[in-house]
Amino acid sequence: MTKPSVGIFGLTGCAGDQLVILNCEDQLLDLVALIDVRDFLMASSSNDMACPLDVALVEGAVLSQQDADKLRAIRNRAKTLVALGTCAVWGGVAAMDRGKDRQALLHDVYGDTGLHFDSLPAQALHEIVKVDLNVTGCPIEKEHFLTAIANLLNGSMPVYPAYPVCTECRMQENNCLLIERGELCCGPITAAGCKARCPELRVPCMGCRGPANDANPASLLTAFEEKGFNREAVATRLRTFAPEGAAQ
Amino acid sequence: MNTIVIEHLARVEGHGGITVEWDGDKVGSVRFDVLEGARLLEPLVRGKRYDEVAPILSRICSICSAAHALTSVKATENAFGVRVSPQTELLRELLYLGESIESHALHIFLLAMPDYLNYPSAVALSADKPQAVLLGLRLKKLGNLIQETIGGRAIHPVNVLPGGFGRAPGIGQLMELRSALIEARKDMDTVIDLLAMLPKADFCHGETACAALLTPRLGAYYGGDQVMVADSGERTVLPASGYKTLTNEESVPHSHARHSHFRGKPFMVGSLARLSVHPRLTGRLATALGRLRLQLPAVNPMDNNKAQALELVRDVDRALDITEQGLKDGIKDERPVEVHPREGTGTAITEAPRGLLIHSYNYDAEGRIVGADVITPTALNAASMELSFRRTVEQCAERDEAVITKRLQMVARAYDPCISCSVHLVRRQ
Repeated sequence: MTKPSVGIFGLTGCAGDQLVILNCEDQLLDLVALIDVRDFLMASSSNDMACPLDVALVEGAVLSQQDADKLRAIRNRAKTLVALGTCAVWGGVAAMDRGKDRQALLHDVYGDTGLHFDSLPAQALHEIVKVDLNVTGCPIEKEHFLTAIANLLNGSMPVYPAYPVCTECRMQENNCLLIERGELCCGPITAAGCKARCPELRVPCMGCRGPANDANPASLLTAFEEKGFNREAVATRLRTFAPEGAAQ
Repeated sequence: MNTIVIEHLARVEGHGGITVEWDGDKVGSVRFDVLEGARLLEPLVRGKRYDEVAPILSRICSICSAAHALTSVKATENAFGVRVSPQTELLRELLYLGESIESHALHIFLLAMPDYLNYPSAVALSADKPQAVLLGLRLKKLGNLIQETIGGRAIHPVNVLPGGFGRAPGIGQLMELRSALIEARKDMDTVIDLLAMLPKADFCHGETACAALLTPRLGAYYGGDQVMVADSGERTVLPASGYKTLTNEESVPHSHARHSHFRGKPFMVGSLARLSVHPRLTGRLATALGRLRLQLPAVNPMDNNKAQALELVRDVDRALDITEQGLKDGIKDERPVEVHPREGTGTAITEAPRGLLIHSYNYDAEGRIVGADVITPTALNAASMELSFRRTVEQCAERDEAVITKRLQMVARAYDPCISCSVHLVRRQ
């Protein structure tokens, strides 16, 4: 059997999802025996930057014309394109408040020279190209990455939870941070898969995995208002990792 | 006129490149190009509540996410006059050590070492020298175990809050950590041996000014609020609040990058700078220093790879000490100290794995952030990296393009740049 050719790429982001791959310390050498990693700039200086790929794993958001061009070129090379991480799937932290005046923000940080930068409001990959599989998380869960590779090797697609963090948190019988402690916890509308890592530590969910398919934001907004939070504070929190209207 | 353009620097975090030009003996323009997109997190974080700042700004970088989160909460605590418990201080130091162990192991074994032995990657290296790669992976895993145990996650820690931790680790978790650290200690001689055996690499020799945090205990990453700059035997101490004298970014005429200089000179931050500023090493570390033939204060930035190895030895020891102290004294199930927002400014400086990291915030009376300034080690190192690139060309007498190209990449990697981090300070198009 020929090994599937794989490329691992980063657009604009923190490289955290590529780091999760390198953090599979116990599996890494077995993994590279099963796949043929042809293009992985973060880990290798010998890359084929043009070969066709069976699978392209792409992390980061599109924040410049250069990112968009790079993403289109990757799409053209790849049979299957996988978006890795919240930035690639939803836009991530750089997409918060993306209605803000980009030129003003650039001027703020870089002065007049910033006005000439190649800079676009942050976009998720699916806003530019067709994405075949979304693996969300900020960063992605190691197990989700390994499941994705195992499935792709077998010609299938992994299935990730459609239910919210709240469900996982309840299964672990944690005290509810929202209802019992009145904290601004985004668990009810955030995609599960993290085993409710934050509430498990008594830390309210920030929504870093992006919205759950099954979520009901309207009812959550009401619940927050009943707890005395103002609508704007809640809306700001909900926009941190995924911009408004970033539906898949 | 000869020009070398390295468009995409491999085996580093983020997107960067190198451009150098020379004409006979004269080296012309030398640039460290940062090609990352601008995420503009500093202006975007404005208006957010104080408890949202660390989770957002830790996303600047994955490899140093714990450093960003810890420096962020410390800046916020400084702004509000919050004092955390001794247990929190100790566990934060442990988290910092975990990140440094992971980051150094990743850098030494997976990113830097393949160059010395002429392999394109750690995977390729593992076919012939599995021992070195497996050792690197074991130590990386140890660093991640510490980060998971204390920070709740290996990347972007979730347990780090203004005032303390969401939940302190349990005794069972610390016992697991203790066993892993005791195992890792046995590997430390091999770490030093492997680094001592690498071919000599002294491509950019020269006087190197260094800056590092003055910490109450030698070699700490977290704690202390003064910076020492060591330059040709002259030592200057600066308070954290005056960090702008250190980061007096200058416009470079040929571009719009802003570089940091101290009294007109580039300076280096990171492992080698820390050891240069605090060169008193004793016992096992002094022996390791001798075996590595590591010259302090720094005269060869390539030695940063060896300096990281030395820090690995020290950090594993210190992490074990803290873990044992925790087991001996017991870990209390503390909640974070209560935080009462007030109008004001808070600045924190720490030592991220790759050098000085500064977060400085202004808050309004409701605890909403009005302004954020983040200065990262890679941005501080940018001017020093360019000086080293220049010396690399100058010191390659035969001016062989292939040799220079390889050396430039090795020099860049030795600085262990984190380009995602640097982007808001150094940018060129």
